Amino acid sequence: MRKTFDLIAAPAGTEPGDYVPRVYAARNLPATSSATLEVQHGDAGWRVSLGWHCPDPVRDASGNTNLFVDAAALLAPTVADAQWITMGAPDKAVEGALWRADREELLRIRAEGLGTVKRQQPPNHWKAHSDWSEARWSVTFELASWPALDDHNQLAFAIWRGAAADRGGLKAIVPQWIAVEP
Amino acid sequence: MSGSEKTNEPDTVDRQLAMVIDLNKCLGCQTCTVACKKLWNRDAGTDYAYWNNVETQPGKGYPALWPETGGRSGAGEVKRGEVPDLDSGYGRAWDFNHRAAFESAAKPAGEKAWLQPNEEAHWGANWDEDRGAGHYPEDNHYFYLPRLCNHCTHPACLNACPRHAIYKDKRNGIVLVDQDSCHGYRFCVEACPYKKVYFDPMRQVTTKCLFCLPRIEEGVPMACARQCPGRLRFVGYRDDPEGPIWKLVEKWKVALPLHPEYGLAPNVFYLPPLSPPKLDAAGRPTAEPRIPMYHLESLFGETVGAALETLRSERRKRRRGEPSELMDILIAYDWHKSFALSSEHEVSR
Repeated sequence: MRKTFDLIAAPAGTEPGDYVPRVYAARNLPATSSATLEVQHGDAGWRVSLGWHCPDPVRDASGNTNLFVDAAALLAPTVADAQWITMGAPDKAVEGALWRADREELLRIRAEGLGTVKRQQPPNHWKAHSDWSEARWSVTFELASWPALDDHNQLAFAIWRGAAADRGGLKAIVPQWIAVEP
Repeated sequence: MSGSEKTNEPDTVDRQLAMVIDLNKCLGCQTCTVACKKLWNRDAGTDYAYWNNVETQPGKGYPALWPETGGRSGAGEVKRGEVPDLDSGYGRAWDFNHRAAFESAAKPAGEKAWLQPNEEAHWGANWDEDRGAGHYPEDNHYFYLPRLCNHCTHPACLNACPRHAIYKDKRNGIVLVDQDSCHGYRFCVEACPYKKVYFDPMRQVTTKCLFCLPRIEEGVPMACARQCPGRLRFVGYRDDPEGPIWKLVEKWKVALPLHPEYGLAPNVFYLPPLSPPKLDAAGRPTAEPRIPMYHLESLFGETVGAALETLRSERRKRRRGEPSELMDILIAYDWHKSFALSSEHEVSR
């Protein structure tokens, strides 16, 4: 499948703590308005490509204290009724892969609710390729095995635009799980 | 930390460790700054970061103009702040021409390479040292303000973190960062109005003063306090009526929090600076102190005048040869008495 999705700003109001929900309440437009998703499944496993407009890429945040890197994540539910918008819930985890523009390797992520994301080293067979050209990021995730997606055939993604100080719950997301064909 | 007990509910701490800093004794020597820096922040990502700094007041401070963002509203809500940048906020850690300066040491003065940054420097910690304000000789003035994390009773940084990576140690109220949980979002840096949470851009996590917790656990005062040659720092628990903190803050009411209007209930307190009188046009002393009261009130709140009057009054008593518990505490003849950490440990190191 290949499709372009309109994105929404993840709702800051549901973020944990009493700072982000209130201070960023007015931030209700996504810094990235749309993205193209392409999903392929074959003998080599899952190949998921994301592409989005980004006129001002931030590839490296190590040079200053107020820089945030561009990033994107894929997530899938580990149980049938795990919610995407809440990043799962206790005992209803979501898991996936995080790409950051400042890393060659992916990170494996897993969450059981907002504010609970844990980052881990990915399986050896998880790879990513990225390219920025003509004001556009193209990121391809090659995931030889991803049981959560195999089992539930649902996928979601998020995009962080560093130049807009996107980080954590401040991100552009698809509004709901996307059904993918195995 | 060996026995750290986390709590995200600041009101549930068992005790609160605190510090009092006597600004009338600060020499601006930066020994505290160096003691802290050498101990905790020598990595590439924290080369710009001074958990403890000493800035000249009036002045821009460090980071520049730090008092302008964050804190709590009158209703207690954490307000939006900003993340300072390295160039105009903190100032970068410069590389120096050490080799060139060393190799030219024996040359005539005109041919020497003097020690200087390899780049053009525009701003940095302590950039405006001793600049102050006013006009010589009528009312020129400055004083030194050592600053570190206030280990607030109601920390804005703790409330700002959506990952609950910032917590208080239940045993002593010290505010700590769990760097395994921190993802470097920097909401804590934004929210802290004192700008005493730092971001390590190399490791992509935040860092902050931990009140030298490993030393405290051994009954040893913080490096900044122990190394201070002026003996101007006092350390102890807020609820210890025999310790210097309780006496200076609660009993004598001469130690005041910095920017109480931020609403965070800091646990670092300051004895405000007395100052010599302004001079009139004929060069005669007036009744007005050189450091304007409005400036001190902007830093320490409305009670600063009463605190200064208590200090003046007790100083006069002492000069008359009368006893003064307050002056005896502040003069710190025996440095051991400046630190009341634990009955289990004798402070001897």
